[in-house]
Amino acid sequence: MPDKKGTIVVIDDDVQLVESVTTLLESVGYEVFSAYRAEKGFDLAKEKQPDLILLDVMFAGPPGPDGFEISRRIKKDDVLQHTPVVMLSGVKKVLELGYDVAPDDDFMPVEAFIDKPVKPEKLLTTIDEVLEASE
Amino acid sequence: MKLQTKFNLGIIVVFLVLAVSIGILSIRYVNANTIREAKNRVSIYTRAAWEIHNGKIARIQAAIEVLARTQIVEGLLDHQLDVQEEEQQLRAAREELERIRQEQEMDVLNLLAPDGTVILRTRFPYNTGDNLARDPIVHQVIAEEQASSGNIIFSQERLDRAGEGLIQRTLAIGQEPRGMFTGAAVPVIRDGQMIGILEMGTLLNGAVEEVDRIRDAVFENEAYEGKPVGTATIFMGDLRISTNVLDNQGRRAVGTRVSREVAEQVLEEGEPWTGRAYVVDTWYLSQYDPIRNPDGKIIGMLYVGELEEKYLDLRRRAVTLFLAVVLAGMLVAFLTFYVLTRGVVQPVAELSHATQQLSSGELTYRVDIHREDELGELATSFNGMAERLEKQRREIEQSQHRLRELNQELRTTNRNYMEMLGFVSHELKNPLSSAMMSLHTVKDGYLGELTEAQETSLGSVARSLEYFQEMIKNYLDLSRLEKGELEVHAQKVTLQSQVIQPVLESLSQSLEARGMRVVNEVPEDLVVYADPNLLRVVYDNLLSNAVKYGREGGKIELDAQKNQKKALTLSVFNEGPGIPADQMPRLFEKFSRLDSPEYSKEKGTGLGLYICREIVEEHGGEIWADSEEGEWVRFSFTLPDQGG
Repeated sequence: MPDKKGTIVVIDDDVQLVESVTTLLESVGYEVFSAYRAEKGFDLAKEKQPDLILLDVMFAGPPGPDGFEISRRIKKDDVLQHTPVVMLSGVKKVLELGYDVAPDDDFMPVEAFIDKPVKPEKLLTTIDEVLEASE
Repeated sequence: MKLQTKFNLGIIVVFLVLAVSIGILSIRYVNANTIREAKNRVSIYTRAAWEIHNGKIARIQAAIEVLARTQIVEGLLDHQLDVQEEEQQLRAAREELERIRQEQEMDVLNLLAPDGTVILRTRFPYNTGDNLARDPIVHQVIAEEQASSGNIIFSQERLDRAGEGLIQRTLAIGQEPRGMFTGAAVPVIRDGQMIGILEMGTLLNGAVEEVDRIRDAVFENEAYEGKPVGTATIFMGDLRISTNVLDNQGRRAVGTRVSREVAEQVLEEGEPWTGRAYVVDTWYLSQYDPIRNPDGKIIGMLYVGELEEKYLDLRRRAVTLFLAVVLAGMLVAFLTFYVLTRGVVQPVAELSHATQQLSSGELTYRVDIHREDELGELATSFNGMAERLEKQRREIEQSQHRLRELNQELRTTNRNYMEMLGFVSHELKNPLSSAMMSLHTVKDGYLGELTEAQETSLGSVARSLEYFQEMIKNYLDLSRLEKGELEVHAQKVTLQSQVIQPVLESLSQSLEARGMRVVNEVPEDLVVYADPNLLRVVYDNLLSNAVKYGREGGKIELDAQKNQKKALTLSVFNEGPGIPADQMPRLFEKFSRLDSPEYSKEKGTGLGLYICREIVEEHGGEIWADSEEGEWVRFSFTLPDQGG
């Protein structure tokens, strides 16, 4: 196992996706922690203080904060505010989000926004870019 | 103005007019009649009065006719006696005759010689010797040896000679020395020869017997409110000499004179005067007839008068009664009319009210009118109509209710659908995403190197997954299309940066993999007025097709042209097998796939172009394809109304 490249926390309610993303990221040397609930994910991030957070937009199940909400919370948190966030979304097309889906300091303070499904290569490249930028 | 008021006013006006007309006409009629009646009555009364007067004269004549045949008279006329005997016999006869005269209540009873000389007077001082041949009554007897009677005027001299007290009597009335005498004279006949004349009569001046008899006989001495109903007067000339007309002190008004008008007409022209006469202090319906002496000369008047007041009052009462009856009748008629019209007006008013209620939306109102006539029919029709309206409204309300329910259902369904859509896409895409992620993780060597066979095998899995992914995308688009959800939210869109670049970006890997190059002739600053999301779908489909089906290593060209109608023509060109001519017509149809070996490797869903067409047409534009089989294909579409 090569030296770990960093720690990533994955927050997504899709178990399969989390599994495959974890497999991928670990294969290139990241240490990966994951949570399937938004709140739990937030707490996990605070605990692990990762180098990057992968965050899903929509969380099925009991009502609670969505991805945008969590991203804003992260940015407000003194521990996590400097942690870069990459957002994953499968719902852009469905919801026909009217605005240009680009990171936005107020509403969606994230470093990058990726559509699902995503090719591994794209995901890794984006993560690399974001990590580089945050250093 | 209300209907009932109109009716009432109308009928009142009619009645007023009627009442006034009837009133006037009836009063006139009554008046005329009364006057005629009065005149008739007075005439009759006057005739009666004449009868009485003449009767009296006749009685006098009858009396002296009898007396003329008696011994006394004959004896007086018959023989010549010596002076002493004559004196005695004369005296005895005279006493006897005087007695008879007084019995008869006469003023004069004279015996005359055939030539008219007075032989005997039965009134103190018993003058004799004067000749009365010129007296109209006597004159007649002398001339015709027949009885004669009538009314004559005694001159003062005659009165004087006639006896004591007579002239005083006449003087007492209006200082008049003359008198009116009424009486008769008969010849005394013996052996066919007239041997003398017997004369008897009375002075009317101051007499009351005759006028009172007239009054009593004709008027029954009736009084009305203290006044005598009937009066009679005998005039000597224009002087009242005998009357029962009372003056203001209640005395007989003898000595007064008649009016000028009456005197002229009756005394001078000899015409009776009939009319209303103001006698002393009251109005009497009167008739004045001329009294003529036997020679035909007018010597006085006979007056009969009836108290007007009694008949005035009678008439007034009659008229009043009549008018009262008429008014009462009109009142009754009016009430009846009112009741009848009310019977019509009220239902009409009710129907009017009901109609107002109906028109203001109160459809439950019904009229309560049960009659057998037209109004009843109207009411029934009204109620029927209201019933129908109410029913209709209920039905409408029900329909609306249904509609609302349906709408609600629709919205719910829609929401459900949207949720489902979200759910589906989420649920489908997630396994897909993770599957692809995992697949590519392995295929791309992150988990170790693969054998060629492994790589090929995984490659086909990848392609299936990609196809699956496209299917999901297309079906989501399609279902939204079918639901009519692809609404064009047109806005200003920078075509290059907002639409084309993102799409190219997402296809960049495939482009690179196939070694295709993109020639982008779309101006950087080109702004179109369209829905950016929908445009992305179009470009996504077109470019995906171009990448999938275009020649490996070939060119893809994007272009934008403004045509004359301010519309924009956008095109996507790629080198490749192109579209066979016979497949052109069905190109944009649902589920149409190109049937050729070149296209079979990369199978499409058959929906992409259909979706593109729907979106383009939704924008008001057109989409078509030009192709040279085996060489290239160009897909073009227009966006009109770019001026907006």
